[in-house]
Amino acid sequence: MDRAKRVFSSKQLVTLVWLIGLVVVWEIVASVVQQTKRTPEYVLPHIYQIVDSVFSQNLVNGSQTASQVVLTHAGITLARAGIGFLIGSAIGFVLALLMHMFLPVEKIAFPYLMLIQMIPILGMAPIVLAITKDIDKSRIVIAAILTFYPVATNTLAGFKAVEKEKLELMYSIAASKKDIYRKLLIPSSIPYFFTGLKISAPMAITASILVDTLQGGGGLGCMLSQSLKHAMSIYVFWQIVFFSAIIGILSFYLMSLVERLVSPHTKVRR
Amino acid sequence: MEKGVLDMEVRPMKIQFNAADEALDKKEAGKGKQNRVNKDALTTVLYPVLFGVLILVLWQTQLLHRILGTDTFTLPLPGRIINIILANVPEILKNVQATVIVAVGGLVLGSVLGYLLGIVAMAFPKWGYGGISIASAFTAVPIVAIAPILNNLTKDFSDDPHVRSMIAKTLVVMITCTVSMAINAYRGFTELKPFSLDLMKSYAASKMTVFLKLRVPNSLPYVFTALRISVPASIISALVSEYFAEYIIGVGRQIRESIVLAQYATAWAYILVACVIGIMMYAILLVTEGVVLKGRRR
Repeated sequence: MDRAKRVFSSKQLVTLVWLIGLVVVWEIVASVVQQTKRTPEYVLPHIYQIVDSVFSQNLVNGSQTASQVVLTHAGITLARAGIGFLIGSAIGFVLALLMHMFLPVEKIAFPYLMLIQMIPILGMAPIVLAITKDIDKSRIVIAAILTFYPVATNTLAGFKAVEKEKLELMYSIAASKKDIYRKLLIPSSIPYFFTGLKISAPMAITASILVDTLQGGGGLGCMLSQSLKHAMSIYVFWQIVFFSAIIGILSFYLMSLVERLVSPHTKVRR
Repeated sequence: MEKGVLDMEVRPMKIQFNAADEALDKKEAGKGKQNRVNKDALTTVLYPVLFGVLILVLWQTQLLHRILGTDTFTLPLPGRIINIILANVPEILKNVQATVIVAVGGLVLGSVLGYLLGIVAMAFPKWGYGGISIASAFTAVPIVAIAPILNNLTKDFSDDPHVRSMIAKTLVVMITCTVSMAINAYRGFTELKPFSLDLMKSYAASKMTVFLKLRVPNSLPYVFTALRISVPASIISALVSEYFAEYIIGVGRQIRESIVLAQYATAWAYILVACVIGIMMYAILLVTEGVVLKGRRR
């Protein structure tokens, strides 16, 4: 405990130093690139150039500045990712519950849950688009598929990790099946459920951006490929890279935050 | 019993990512003990197979199409997909080769780099681990964002677009594989069995000996934990990085190109191939793990 505390107190410092180190390395490479390449901003621009473009008032597509473009399309992408994520996590949780309640369901679903994590779902994105025929629906579907299996496997593991003694206690006080689930199994599976969510939140966002690149019609990925194809300022691309990185990381912390709000009593040691 | 508890504690990463495998291990162990294995084992195999057959039948009889609201053009019948694969074996093999080289190359490079980073982090715990935890935050960066950057970065590496796309794709895969290996290797080096370090000290073992005889063997199960995460990840990132690559080759790229040309049956053939690659690489990993860690777990 003491050691953990000490690490924590110095953690910010370590993080800060590493971040500064990263920036320095980036800038050195960017300077080298600037000297040697013909179009340095396509390879690695300076960080201040990117920051500058965020606040720049120059219009990139006739009506919007670079950061406005990024933000409006981020809204489209994230909304779809969010819907897919919610649907996926609901399905995942229910599936885990059913698997735990009914043995045949577990036997049927379990091998397929194993298989699905070896299958490159993102590679199937184009075909989902072809089936749903609608970019919005396919974003939601892909994000939901990517979300549901980490949630299902982790929640199931949560149900199974309940101590035998606790279950025996429930039996000894003749608790009904409903009560056992409501008061013991579901609450104790919550930390595992959130572990699943933390894994799948960045995946859902990645999926949504990737699906964007497949077709026009807005969204971060669409802007990303347009920017790469010289249709608008390349800094839109760099802003999207940074934005998606930050959102990916934030989504992980958002899940931790929600977890703390939902179950403030469970201590998480990870 | 005590050993079991310990195992659970030192392998949380595995539970997180491969809860399914864990549960399967347990189930198999439990099955061995009971003697009504027959019926239990039978249904364990039978139920999923029946379910699979049911889906295939629905698919072949086009009921699945009605449920999904699609047609045989976008979702061709299984027989047709198999026929396409059989008819295009040389072409498919060429693409499979490109994808597998990228995936395996990136996986090996990334894992070796991650393991070395784990060693560095072990040597300088405070700064090293801080660095790794920052790096782990960057795993949340979408592959979609990394792939184009590396494409641009590697433009001058070679005059042959095939070679430089390969380099770019391999680098993307490498990046996605490095961090999980670094974190797990670090855990493997530091989460030792209680008193084992004290024992080594009582032998007056040098740091090198402790490293080679205690830390490296201890890290092996963790290496496989990391690989279980990064093997599927390597294939996914190989497929996705192909979307952005300059040179048109690879299973992932063919899926996309076929869709653009409205060749849905061909796209499905490549999807099936991609799934088979994923399953085979995972199976190879599990077999290797079984051989290397024989008699270690349980």
